[in-house]
Order: sequence, then structure tokens, then C-alpha cells
Amino acid sequence: MSSITTKLIIGATGVLLFAYLILHVIGNALIFFGPDLFNSYAHMLLSNPLVVPIEIGLVVVFLIHLVKAITMTFQNQAARPAKYAKKVAAGGTSQKSLASSTMILSGLALLIFIPIHVKMFKYGPEYPYGASDVRDLYRLEVENFTSPLVVGLYAMVMVVVGMHLWHGVASSFQSLGISGPRFTPLIRKVGKVSAIGIAGGFIVIAVWVFLFGARS
Amino acid sequence: MTLDGKIPGGPISEKWERRKFENKLVNPANRRKYEIIIVGTGLAGSSAAAALGEQGYRVKLFCILDSPRRAHSISAQGGINAAKNYRNDGDSIYRLFYDTVKGGDYRAREANVYRLAQLSVDIIDQCVATGVPFAREYGGLLDNRSFGGAQLSRTFYARGQTGQQLLLGAYQSMLRQVDAGNVTLFPRREMLDLVVVDGQARGIVTRNLITGDLERHEGQAVLLCTGGYGPVYYLSTNAINSNVTAAWRAHKRGALFANPCFTQIHPTCIPVSGDHQSKLTLMSESLRNDGRVWVPRKKEDTRPPEQIPEEERDYYLERRYPSFGNLVPRDVASRAAKERADEGFGVGETGLSVYLDFKEAIDRLGVETIRARYDNLFEMYKHITAEDPYKVPMRIYPAIHYTMGGLWVDYNLQSTIPGLFVLGEANFSDHGANRLGASALMQGLADGYFIASYTVANYLAGASLSKVSTDHGAFKEAAATAQARIDQVLRVKGTRTVRQFHRDLGHIMWDYVGMARTESGLNAAIQKIRALRDDFWKDVAVSGEQSNLNPMLDYAGRVADYMEFAELLALDALHRNESCGGHFREEYQTPDGEARRDDDHYSYVGAWEFTGVGTQPVLHKEALEFQEVRPSQRSYK
Amino acid sequence: MPAKTITVNLKVWRQPAKDQPGRMVDYVAKDISTDMSFLEMLDVVNEDLIRKGEDAIAFDSDCREGICGACGCVINGIPHGPDAGATTCQLHMRRFTDGQTITVEPWRAKSFPVLKDLTVDRSAFDRIIASGGYISAGIGGAQDANSILIPRSIAEEAMDSAACIGCGACVAACKNAAAHLFTGAKITHLALLPQGAPERALRVVRMVGQMEAEGFGACSNEGECEAVCPKLIPISNIAKLVREYTRAWWRGTT
Repeated sequence: MSSITTKLIIGATGVLLFAYLILHVIGNALIFFGPDLFNSYAHMLLSNPLVVPIEIGLVVVFLIHLVKAITMTFQNQAARPAKYAKKVAAGGTSQKSLASSTMILSGLALLIFIPIHVKMFKYGPEYPYGASDVRDLYRLEVENFTSPLVVGLYAMVMVVVGMHLWHGVASSFQSLGISGPRFTPLIRKVGKVSAIGIAGGFIVIAVWVFLFGARS
Repeated sequence: MTLDGKIPGGPISEKWERRKFENKLVNPANRRKYEIIIVGTGLAGSSAAAALGEQGYRVKLFCILDSPRRAHSISAQGGINAAKNYRNDGDSIYRLFYDTVKGGDYRAREANVYRLAQLSVDIIDQCVATGVPFAREYGGLLDNRSFGGAQLSRTFYARGQTGQQLLLGAYQSMLRQVDAGNVTLFPRREMLDLVVVDGQARGIVTRNLITGDLERHEGQAVLLCTGGYGPVYYLSTNAINSNVTAAWRAHKRGALFANPCFTQIHPTCIPVSGDHQSKLTLMSESLRNDGRVWVPRKKEDTRPPEQIPEEERDYYLERRYPSFGNLVPRDVASRAAKERADEGFGVGETGLSVYLDFKEAIDRLGVETIRARYDNLFEMYKHITAEDPYKVPMRIYPAIHYTMGGLWVDYNLQSTIPGLFVLGEANFSDHGANRLGASALMQGLADGYFIASYTVANYLAGASLSKVSTDHGAFKEAAATAQARIDQVLRVKGTRTVRQFHRDLGHIMWDYVGMARTESGLNAAIQKIRALRDDFWKDVAVSGEQSNLNPMLDYAGRVADYMEFAELLALDALHRNESCGGHFREEYQTPDGEARRDDDHYSYVGAWEFTGVGTQPVLHKEALEFQEVRPSQRSYK
Repeated sequence: MPAKTITVNLKVWRQPAKDQPGRMVDYVAKDISTDMSFLEMLDVVNEDLIRKGEDAIAFDSDCREGICGACGCVINGIPHGPDAGATTCQLHMRRFTDGQTITVEPWRAKSFPVLKDLTVDRSAFDRIIASGGYISAGIGGAQDANSILIPRSIAEEAMDSAACIGCGACVAACKNAAAHLFTGAKITHLALLPQGAPERALRVVRMVGQMEAEGFGACSNEGECEAVCPKLIPISNIAKLVREYTRAWWRGTT
């Protein structure tokens, strides 16, 4: 497989994961409206027969993104066996940033985070919401975010997510060959704004739950 | 030896057709049996390799640099002429032919020039077909511009990078034949000798510039496409690796060298800033359309230009040539600048430059108009000199730019050694004593794409070629000669670097054999060149070894050849007791300083036969006949 | 601006030959005119080395006006040095200060093996072009040049990409030593033009295949290549490369 195909795959899966994160953060934000709304939204998702195939699909997309990125990283390192004694960013029009230089590291950090995250939420304790068969995920979230340590670590991981998106969003479109004199500057801005929006959104939600969640 | 130009009979417009018909052909099935050696990958070499490879010959292509795409054709900026008459402004093959013969000051072969003009049309078609992105008009048609004082628009261009785009087009066509298995590339190889067996060119000896090894290559024909010899002046607009070595060593093997004294000077180059300077950068002549050339009226005036009042400035071109003013031809403008500088009126830290002032044009046309016309040139100037030509006058000075002389070839581009063909700037043929702007690219591609494939085939079909292997005595002898010269250079272990010798040689050439020459100066130059050559072999310092990549050793070999070649150039200039084109002898000028040609005595090609280093070469003359264009004397008053 | 003289401390990669170990070696370049180009400064250093009987620093250079693409080294960590849109030969010493330390290294990539000191082997680029980076127009018999109409904007865009000088700075700058900008520029130049359209799909597949076979890395879309390109060729050429490749796949050419 050529590196262009590899990058097409990484880009396409990246765009899908980006779209998932947008839905995820919007869904999470419903928590501001109290347990009723939040839990009924969650119930709507969980009771949908498509949820299992979609979850499987998401895992597959994630794994493809991951495996392709890891194998590509090894190939990339093989392309430059000898390192420079001194190498700095060229500046100017370059998009190089701390985020772009650490994509594989931020990605691997998420590889560690996501199983823990899924364990804490999806496979956490199953509280019933009132008398119904609706699961009380609101309570789970409040319980998970009672420890300042957990909130702090979670916020740090979200910064990593933001960094991955900071470069990743625009990069995915470039990898797909979607580029243009108007589109490219726009998607670069959109990528950075959504990186801040998504990471900031998750952090704000966690902090809000930590501070005010139990009161609702 | 009588020089037979082998010009076909018949009317001038039918000569090439006639020759193509007379030529013998090689059966397509037999072409693979022939190996053709091509040295050089500029426009001529790459296009010849593409053409011959496509026909099915096995081509071995040798390149001095790491990639064929870097050959110096790439630096040509302005454009390429073609008699397309797309502008309906009176152009025709005949007019391009006429202009070129006249521009060459009646020292070129009419038949060759006519063929060049004919082929110019095909070149544009061919280049467009291979994807050269020439400038277009909004309607999608090709754009043309007027160039170098031509009175019609016949120049095709690709921004300021026409040479680059044409070379890449030829390079890609050539690589297509590499892809097809017809052309084999040999990069980082330098040709060090020509192998002649039974009077026929049968191979070359090259040095692998990475390993230092000498290699022998056999073939049925050898094509030299190795460019000109501008760097004999040390500073020129030529590239660092441009050299005369391949041509010179072929000359030593018997190929005659024609008209070496015809060298072209370009008036608008960025001046020398100091001894460290390694090359000069050319700026388009179009600058003289709006810039005014001047120097201070007072000698060695060190005031900055803006503090020199109008009445203390000498607009010497406008003063001397009231009708043409700043637009006098290249050689006139160049000589005048050097004359002012030699008299002590030059400006800049070195005193070796004159002002080219745009203030009046900016005041008259507005800075935006000037920006639209020249911004890329102004930026380039500013980048190199750190001076802003929008604010302070540019400083310019002439530099060696192109060499019209080269190995003598007949109409078939074959040298005096059967089987040795010479294409492009390396031959002497099409430009006479001076070259018109935008016609060097034309010649390179005409020779390579359209001429060599016919004439080389004719040679191969007609020649009786014995079987020769690289173990043949002639190969051994040539390799031994090349090795001996390398050993000789490395053995000296002197104290002065190759660059120092090259710079000293350049000073001699520029001062005595440059744009204004005299008998006494040339005689002095010959003595100085000989003395310098002796010094070179006693005191040159070359570090490193042969068995490795060693650019200094490569350089030493080239300068050693320049030391020999320079003498021939000076001798040729000394023997030609007239002024014509790029050759100006101060003794031969009209009372108002114009070049005075002597058609009665010098209407010939002067082709020199090598007889040994430091011994008088033998002059052979090929008389030039002008049946179409009547020689006239020019005037720019 | 009047020239002055400065002294700079060089750290230069010295490697005697291919596949031999190399190291950074310190040199002091004294009395360097600020009017000199970077390569002229190296010429001066070499003159001193030769006079001392030491091996001169080997580096490629030819036209010394920024068009041939022969020169190039990584200067203080940036290919072709600090000036945007310029080659190493166009860099002038006035960009440096008296006493400054300058590191000078060759392009580093598996596909560009170092031959000696600052000289690398870039023949991989020729092999990429030879794998279809041309239009198969036979020589002779081409139709009249004006019978192919090309809109000015397309011709200009093709020219922007065709301006590539093949210096290799894009590969040198890329953290993955990728050759996508080089390959993409040629693909873009040729794909924009009506000439050679029948070969369009096969061309991109073959050229990308050769690029991969040479051992260049993948594109991480950082755009370092664009920032160091002496001809300012943008990474939109890489997006075009991807589109051409995808188009070829769609048509069943891959």
C-alpha cells in the first residue's frame, strides 16, 4: 500500500473520529440541562438497535486509524535513519507546531486513556434512573468526577485530545486531497477552533459536574 | 586540409529538405546495434538523446552534475525565438534568418542559419506538445514578446524561466527514453578524452566523479553537447561547472576549433563586489528600456549618487549615441561602460560599475508601472546587493555571457573527426560573431531534436566501422593520457590554489582579450598566459586524492585546460585584424568608434588545428559566401 | 549598504565517503565580507584548507543564481538557511552576525545517501521523473502550438508547479523525508495541461510507486517543505497529487 493510500485511510478515519467527537461533546453538554434530559438522551442512544453496529464500527475505525498511524511512523523513521545535529522549524507558511510534531504521542496517550474511559463510563456501575429501565448515567458521571485528581487527569487528557485535533482536523482534509485557496485557510481555522471547542467543552463539562453536578 | 561545409545545393529554402532526402537511413531493426555516446545534458544533449533514443539507437548519456536537469541551459531567462508570425507583424523564416545573419555581423554560414530559422517553428510545436508551460494570452493562445531590440514580437517565454522550462521539457523527453530502456544515464561523469580509432571517433574516457575511477566507453558516434567556454574569463554568467575540457580534449585529438575569439558580453550584469566573487548574475536587458545609464563627470567621485547634481552627471550613452541612447546594442553599451570605468569614472566600492537610474522613469510613469515591469529584477538585485533600486540607482557592469566560437562543424554538425558531432553552444556554427537575444535556446533544441538524428544516421549508414572494444590500444592510450594529467596535477603540491590561478587567468583575459582588444595587448596576454601556465604546473595546490569525490581535483583539470585554451582564444583575436560582432579590435574602428569589419580579408571561419601546447596552431579557413544577405556596416548614431 | 567583514564559527558535517562515519568539525571563517554568498564563504574556507594541505569541504553548486537546484545544505537547522524563497547560493553573509555559530549539514534522508561531506546523491528524483513524469509526444510532427488552447490561469498554475528546481530541500525539511512535494509538483504541472491526458492516471500511479520504492516517507501535512521551497511551491500540490492518485484508483489504474 502506498503512503498516499495509508494517509487517505488515516485521513478518512480521522474525519470520522472528529465527527464522532463533535457529537460526543454536544451530547455531553446536555448534562447542563439536568439529569432528566441527559438520561433520556442517553437512553435514546442506548435503546437504538443500531448502537452496537455503530460502536463496533467506531472501534474498527479507531483501530484502523491507530494501526495505520503506528506502522506509518515506523516507515517514516526508516526514511531518515541519520538525524540532524541541529534542526529547527522553518517558520513562514509552515504549519509545524508542537501538536503536529507529537501526533503519534498524543494518539498513543489516547490509546491508554480510551479503555479506562470506556471502563469508567460505558462499563461502570449500572444505576437505574428512578423506577424506569433508564440507566442513570448522570449519577455515574457525577460520581466519576468527584475526585479532583480524576478531573485534573481528565482535563490533561482533553488537552492532549485538543492538541491532536489542532493539527489533525486540517491535516485529515489535506490527506484526503481536499484543498483549495479558500478552503484550506478556512479548514485550518475550523480545525483549531474545533480543537479548542471540543477539548474545552469536555473540560468545562467535567469541571461543571465536579463543582455543581451533585446539586442538580 | 580543406574545410568542406558540406552545404547542400539548391535554393536556400530547400537545402535542408534536400539534405534530409540525400541522407542515408538506418533500418529500424538495425538501430539497436548502434551505440551513440552523448556528452552533456543541456538543451542540445538532452534533446539529442531523446530524439536518437526514440528512433531506437542505444544512447549512453553523460552528465557532469548529479542530475541532467541542472545543465546550464536552465539559467536562460528571456525566451526563445520562432518565426511563427502569430502576431501578424511581418515575421517569417526569411526575416528571422536575415536578422540572425545580420546580428552575427556576417560571420555565420547562411545555410545553417536558414535551417535554424526553419526549425524554430517546429521547436515551439514540439515544446508545447511535451508540456512546456509557455505564457498564454487570456484566449488561451501563446503569448509573444519583443526581445533584445527586435522590431517584432517573435519571442516565446515561460516567465523569466524559459531556459528552465525548455530544459525540463527536453529532460523529461529524454527520461522517457531512459524509461523505455533506450538511453542509459551516466551522472557525475566528466569526459577526459576522445578515443579515435582509424580516424573515426569511437569512444570516450570519463572519470567517475564519485569514485575517481577512469572509465572507457565505446560507441559508433560521439556527440559533444558540452556548452561554451565563458569561464575562461573566470567571472562570467556561466555556471561553476561549465568548462571547455571536453571540447578542448577533442581539439587535441584533431577536431578543429573555430572562431574562439567570438565571445559575447552582456551589459546589464550585477557588478563584482570583491575578490571573493565566484560568478556574475545577469539581469534582463529590458532594464535599459527605462533605465538611464550615467557616471559622475568628476573622476573618482565618491559621493552617493543622490548627492550628485544633474549637471555633474554624464549620461554617456545618450551623449554619444543620440538616436539610440541607452538602447544601443549589447557590445556598444558594454564597451562604453568599461571605457568609462577604465578612465576612472566608475562607481561603487570597486569602481567597476556604472549607474542605471530609474528615477526619471519612476517620476514619469509612476512607481507602480515600474514595479509591474521590473519588480522581479529589482528584487533579485536587492537580494544580491542589499540596495533598493527604487531608491538608489542600480549599478551594472558587463560580463561574459555566451561564446559563439566552438568546435568547427560542417552542415551536418560533424567535426573534422568523422563520427564526432558537436551540438549547441559547443559548436561554432549558427551565430557568427555575435548572437541575437533568445536564439541560444533555439539552436540547442534545433541541433538536438531535429538535426542530429538525421545526420548521425546518415553517418552510421555510410561509415565502415570496424569492431572496437575498450581494450583497443587507442582506449588504453587515451586512458593513460587522462591518468597522466591527473597524476601531474596531484604531483605539484604547490602553494597557490586552483581558484587563484583561475582568477589570475580571468584577469588577463578580461583586461586584454575582453571586449576591446589591441595587437599589443593580445601579444602581452599570450606571454602572460604562457607564464601563468608554467606557474600553474609548478605551484598549484590540490588537496585530497583521486580515488574519492574531489571537486578541487575536477576543477584543477578544467583550469589546466583553460590555461591552454586561453592562448588559442588570444591568438585567434590577434589574427583577426578587424572588428566584428563580439570581437572588437581598437585598431579597427570608424572615426566615431564603430566596429569596422573587413569583409575582403576576414569573411571566413577561422578554424585552428592543434599542434601542441605552446606551439603555433595551424589556421584553416572556410570562406563564407553571402548569396542572400548582403553584408552592410551598422550604425547606431 | 557598505560591506563589512565578520568572523563566523562553522560546525560542518565532514564525512570522507559514502557509508563511512562522519562528524561535525569546527572551522573559523575569518574576514568574511558580508557581500559574500554563503557558498562563497565556503569557497574561502576551502581555499584555506587547501593551502594547509587538508581536504576541502565537498559541496554541490553550479549556477549560483538559484535556478539549477544543485546546491543545498541545512544551515542552522533549516534547509537553504533562514531566507524564504531562496537557495543556499542566494543566501548572503549579511544575514549573519559577527561571531555567530553556524551549523552546516547535508540533506539527510535514506533516499539521499551522503556521498561526501555536504554532497548527497539525489538520483532518486531522476528515477521518479523517469517513471512517467513526462508527456509521450514523439519528436517531430507535433501539431501547431496554437491548436491547443490553454487558459491563461491554467498555464500560470502549471508554471507555478513546473518551477520546481529539484533541489531536494522539501525532503530535507520533512520530518519523514517525504518527496511528496517534489512528486506532487510534477504531477500537478502535467495533470493541469490537456497534453498528455491519456497518460494521466498511469503517470501518477507509476511515479508514486517509484517514490515509495526509493524509500521516501509519508506526508504529515506540516508544510515544512513549502516553507523551505526556494520556489515557494505550496502543499496544495500534494493535495492535487492525492486527488490524481485517488482518481487513478477510481478508474481502476492502481
